[in-house]
Amino acid sequence: MAARGQRLAFLERIALTRDRRRVAYAFLAAVLLFVIGELVHPGFARFQSVTAVLTIASFVGLVAAGQTFVVLIGGIDLSVPWVLNGAAILLVTTSLGQDDRALYSLAVTLGMGAAVGVVNGVAIAFVGVPAVVMTLAMNGIMEGLTLGLSGGLTCGACASYAPPLVANAVHGSLLGIPAALYLWLVVIAVVSVVLSFTTFGRKTYAIGNNMRVSYLAGVNVRLVTVLLYMLSGIFAALAGILLVGFGGQASLGMGDPYLFQSIAAVVIGGVYMLGGRGHYLGTAAGAVTLVALVSVLLAMNMPDYGRNIIYGIVILLLLLLYGREEVES
Amino acid sequence: MSTEAIAEPRRGRAIHFFRQNIGLVLVFVMLAAAVVLYCVVYWMQLQTLPGNFEITSTVNNTMPLVLVAMGQAIVVLARGLDLSVGGVMDLTNALAAVLLHDNLASMVGWSLVILLIGAGLGLINGLLVAVGRLQPILVTLATLAVYQGLAIRVLPQPGGAVPPSYTAALVDPNQPFALVYVVLLGLLWSAFRRSNLGVSIVAVGNDEQSARANGVAVIPTRILAFTLSGMLAAAAGLFLAATATAGDATTGNGYTLTSIVAVVLGGMSLFGGRGSAVGVIAGAFLTTMIVNVLFFSQIDPLYQSFYEGLFLVIAVVLSTMIGLLLRRRH
Repeated sequence: MAARGQRLAFLERIALTRDRRRVAYAFLAAVLLFVIGELVHPGFARFQSVTAVLTIASFVGLVAAGQTFVVLIGGIDLSVPWVLNGAAILLVTTSLGQDDRALYSLAVTLGMGAAVGVVNGVAIAFVGVPAVVMTLAMNGIMEGLTLGLSGGLTCGACASYAPPLVANAVHGSLLGIPAALYLWLVVIAVVSVVLSFTTFGRKTYAIGNNMRVSYLAGVNVRLVTVLLYMLSGIFAALAGILLVGFGGQASLGMGDPYLFQSIAAVVIGGVYMLGGRGHYLGTAAGAVTLVALVSVLLAMNMPDYGRNIIYGIVILLLLLLYGREEVES
Repeated sequence: MSTEAIAEPRRGRAIHFFRQNIGLVLVFVMLAAAVVLYCVVYWMQLQTLPGNFEITSTVNNTMPLVLVAMGQAIVVLARGLDLSVGGVMDLTNALAAVLLHDNLASMVGWSLVILLIGAGLGLINGLLVAVGRLQPILVTLATLAVYQGLAIRVLPQPGGAVPPSYTAALVDPNQPFALVYVVLLGLLWSAFRRSNLGVSIVAVGNDEQSARANGVAVIPTRILAFTLSGMLAAAAGLFLAATATAGDATTGNGYTLTSIVAVVLGGMSLFGGRGSAVGVIAGAFLTTMIVNVLFFSQIDPLYQSFYEGLFLVIAVVLSTMIGLLLRRRH
């Protein structure tokens, strides 16, 4: 016990607080997976395949950015899948694959994501609907609207491609690094700065730690909550835009994997699910870890069901490693 | 508390009951409204009232949801959430389609084994949550992936067969015989609610610290709540297999969400310690009736989840508003 205390004190001295340690673990796990990948499948850790993994991870990472925001106040956003899917379809149907409509449709799509997030936030913050119920219902509402309005993706405009402007922006690369990665790096920087160095970020952590106390301390809890859910909606829509730019066309169900993955990335990244603790940097590392894990399993020719099983077990192991709640005395 | 009680004029027992069980009252009112609405749209389409066939198919189709939602209700009552129930249903449904043969010993024996497997899957959740001190949502999200994977391993393609006599025993396609199970479940619940375990679960859901201080064994209670949920989800998987007369390792997936919908519509608080499984049973039937009404009002089925989501929000907002109003008058 004393030895453990000393070790902890040492770690604290070199500024590795528990939260930062968790972020470090997430990065270590990602690196470790690339090493394992290289061992089972030589060439896995080559530059091109690493950037490919990172590009896929950027989509997860963007959705997980929004998820991180709401998890930091102890919330959760289950409406991600169909906001993402709806955004992808909205982008192609409003732009019809034409560059001169691209900016307009980008604005409409991001605006839709923001609007959905605001509705979520208002219902949660002002009406008091539990976040799980509200965002779950919103996912259904968005699914029904997307399917109904697009006639089950049979509408004439639904087969349009993403405008070349968007597609090129996603596929383009600079110095051998895909554009999507640059965007993600910018997002990582901005989100980290916003969370750590602005009053908005401080308020977010304050609400997550203790909603009542932050209210009494003068934080506009409701407004911040609405803004955070709005951000989550915007990030889900952004991921939808990038995905449709990446794949060319929209499809039904393309958002489904992102619910599990965004929450898993948040968990692996060491963000505390009850709110108030964690960094987006950890979530980003979590997204990379997750996608690298899937790629390693794919490289090992693991069948679909096996991937599911290992996926779940890895998350459980990581949770047992550092996701545990403190013992209540 | 006591001064308030003196200051407040006496109210009748009925009003007291109404205020204590606002969610329960609301779900039965909504269910009655949905049934009336269903009869109206049915009459407008076919100029006759729903008969034996409609009642039978409604009851049979709702049975899996009733069972899985009751399991979910027990976990929610203990302030948890079980997202893995869909995976448990997938796996048990697949096992039933593979294992059951057309003789009594096989059907009874394997059914019991499958129920035990379900309980075991729930036990794993419970151990991870209570002993591992992990959060229910995360644990069950992870085990959901594992159980779904196992289900696909057991039954890669939809298929297998369930003996017709098994179907007849669980969900008689000709008579609404399954209503007996519903009544039985309601009775079982009221016994369970008064048992030691039932009281402990409510106590843990209301306030874990006080429960512990009052001698409730919190960890075993948590574990048992998840175990029961797993077992009820397994029963739901068996009923699902009996209704479909075949197995499919993915049909259970949707039930994770609908079980939560039924629990919430049933007037249960997701923050634990409040609500009744009787309301949840009504919530399950309400969920089915909403789909029925939509079907007969010839609304494009593509919009179905839109209306389900909308009804869920409306129901929650209504019960919150009424609760607030009652408290304000107080």
